Amino acid sequence: MLYLQILANGLVLGGLYACIASGFSLVWGVLNVINILHGSFIVLGGYLAYFAYVNAGIHPFLSILIAIPAFFAIGYALQRLMINRIIAAPVLLTLTLTFGLDLMLSNGMILAFTADFRKLVLEPPLGTLAFGAVVLPIDRLAAMLLALALTGMLYLILSRSRIGRAIVAVRMDREAAALMGVDVKRIYAATFGLGAMMAGASGPLLVMIFPISPLGGPAYLGKAFVICVLGGLGSVPGAMIGGLVLGVVESFGSLWFGPEHAITLSFSLLILMLLFRPHGLLGRKGYE
Amino acid sequence: MRNKRLLGAALLAGVIAAGAAAAQDVIRVGAPLPITGPLSPEAKKQQRGYDLWAEAANRSGGIKVGSKRMKVEIVYVDYQSNTPRAVQAAEKLITQDKVNFLFSPFGSGAAKAASSVSEKYQVPTIAATASSAQVYDQGYKYLFGTFTPNDTLTEPLSDIVVREAAGVKRVAILARNALFPLAIAQEMEKSAKKRGLNVVYFEKYSIGTLDHASALSQIKSQSPHWIFATGYTNDLILLRKQMADQRIDAPVVTMIAAPAYQEWIDGTGKLSQNVTSAAWWHPAVRYKGKDVFGSTEAYVKAFQAKYGALPDYAEGSASAAGAILQLAIEKAGSIERTKVRDALAAMNEMTFWGRVQFGANGQITSLEPPVFQIQKGKPTVIHPKSIRQGELQLGVSN
Repeated sequence: MLYLQILANGLVLGGLYACIASGFSLVWGVLNVINILHGSFIVLGGYLAYFAYVNAGIHPFLSILIAIPAFFAIGYALQRLMINRIIAAPVLLTLTLTFGLDLMLSNGMILAFTADFRKLVLEPPLGTLAFGAVVLPIDRLAAMLLALALTGMLYLILSRSRIGRAIVAVRMDREAAALMGVDVKRIYAATFGLGAMMAGASGPLLVMIFPISPLGGPAYLGKAFVICVLGGLGSVPGAMIGGLVLGVVESFGSLWFGPEHAITLSFSLLILMLLFRPHGLLGRKGYE
Repeated sequence: MRNKRLLGAALLAGVIAAGAAAAQDVIRVGAPLPITGPLSPEAKKQQRGYDLWAEAANRSGGIKVGSKRMKVEIVYVDYQSNTPRAVQAAEKLITQDKVNFLFSPFGSGAAKAASSVSEKYQVPTIAATASSAQVYDQGYKYLFGTFTPNDTLTEPLSDIVVREAAGVKRVAILARNALFPLAIAQEMEKSAKKRGLNVVYFEKYSIGTLDHASALSQIKSQSPHWIFATGYTNDLILLRKQMADQRIDAPVVTMIAAPAYQEWIDGTGKLSQNVTSAAWWHPAVRYKGKDVFGSTEAYVKAFQAKYGALPDYAEGSASAAGAILQLAIEKAGSIERTKVRDALAAMNEMTFWGRVQFGANGQITSLEPPVFQIQKGKPTVIHPKSIRQGELQLGVSN
């Protein structure tokens, strides 16, 4: 029975992780930009939901609907106005730029929201579901569903829509796509917008689960790294699988080796993957 | 041209001389704090406490040093929640900023790390947030601490639980793997075993843990009567939330150190009900003292007037560190470091913080830390008897 509960814990934790990582993976895979801002976007999405709930009583699920267009717009503008200028430069430069922007954003949030930890306490709480002796919290299930829904939506956009096909084309061969008449800069901006949107949309869910502070971003970012390497860069289903695998591994690792080694275990996994399967579980070899 | 330069040099010399003269009338106290980084909420509390003391001391004309009065100035340095940098910050404060005295960086770990620097330069240093015995076991002569050892928290707590909750036999302990949270968890284990309680689970989680579900499932499978968890505000908000996620109930749930903070109560909402904790001080205590604040009541009033909130023990301790330093300087009648050090070592005074007397290792020995329980969103003191506000209530559920 304990094992079933641990497995269930791992799967719902994995759903959260998939939420955290999918946008990060998309941006890294398509744009070859390591978006250090991603964690802080999640935190900002969390603050949006927190203040909407505390001041106006807006349920965090509704805040997700507000966050989706807002963060898409922020991401689109950021790529269009700043990151596109150095997109052709070596990866370290874009990393430095997003790192700098992240410093500004997190310090801005300290000024605006103070460094105190806050958590959105729903009244009444969403509660839990019990299947026999296995108990599952509904907010984590919702996060898992959101991750699935967003992943599915992204998958549809990428495989069916015109702009999605263009994103994939740019990812495969930038020059060839440009020669075919694809407006590469616009596609980049749309991709970054989608990545920011995924981060912003997961914030309202995470603030129901984790206490947030303006400096909480790097913790999410660290997880996103591991998940991307696990699942394969740029592969949206890969982020889902990577998240679930990491969640389950951490849960059982914590059971067998003690909770203090859960983080060690996830980074050991990262190193092993890089050594033996650098393209990830679902990534294609030689894509990067 | 040449004249102008001369004039400039003369002006500069004048400014420096004036600065030096002013510096002599000011007592500078260095305070390395984690102003940015994950510990920044703690740094803010320390700053509020120190600032309130400095303001009170200066408003009364300054600290009496022999026949004259000297103003006090606190020099803050941010060490970005990074302990090695805290040590560098302490050294910089002493060697470059020429502070007269030092307040330790935050928490047991950083206070211990920085204490070797103040010992090397023989700078009297007061630690406002270091309780673990390991901080004071180095034979240092210049380090003094305002928190009693960790067992002064776990012992009265265990006494109360054993006395009032007869069915409590099985204890589960989950500790953050950092100096203070782990040390107090180990004290709890000793206190429990001493009373014949069965410790059925004892594990550590690492700093930065985002999920406690597995540990909690294991705890639940042991069906403990008393769950004792340690950590800081964010850890313990998450832990309490995840206990509810798995429908874990227990007659007694104790968390140290967060429940004394309003942020923890706000972040857990109704789940805070009946969680017990202990701290070194509580605004409900009533002491009359010879320090600059005069009494606990007056201190709490001054704090509320400045910040619009009740002080918690971390804020109170920071103010106490200042008030104690002031008492020592006034007693020594000098700001000579060795004299102030001797005055601290010999101190036996009442303050708003309680009686202040340090053991041979520098740690305070004279406090009686209160035990409290969150009842209806408010910390309610259940021990010691003299300031009791309510009885221990059993049953923490979801």
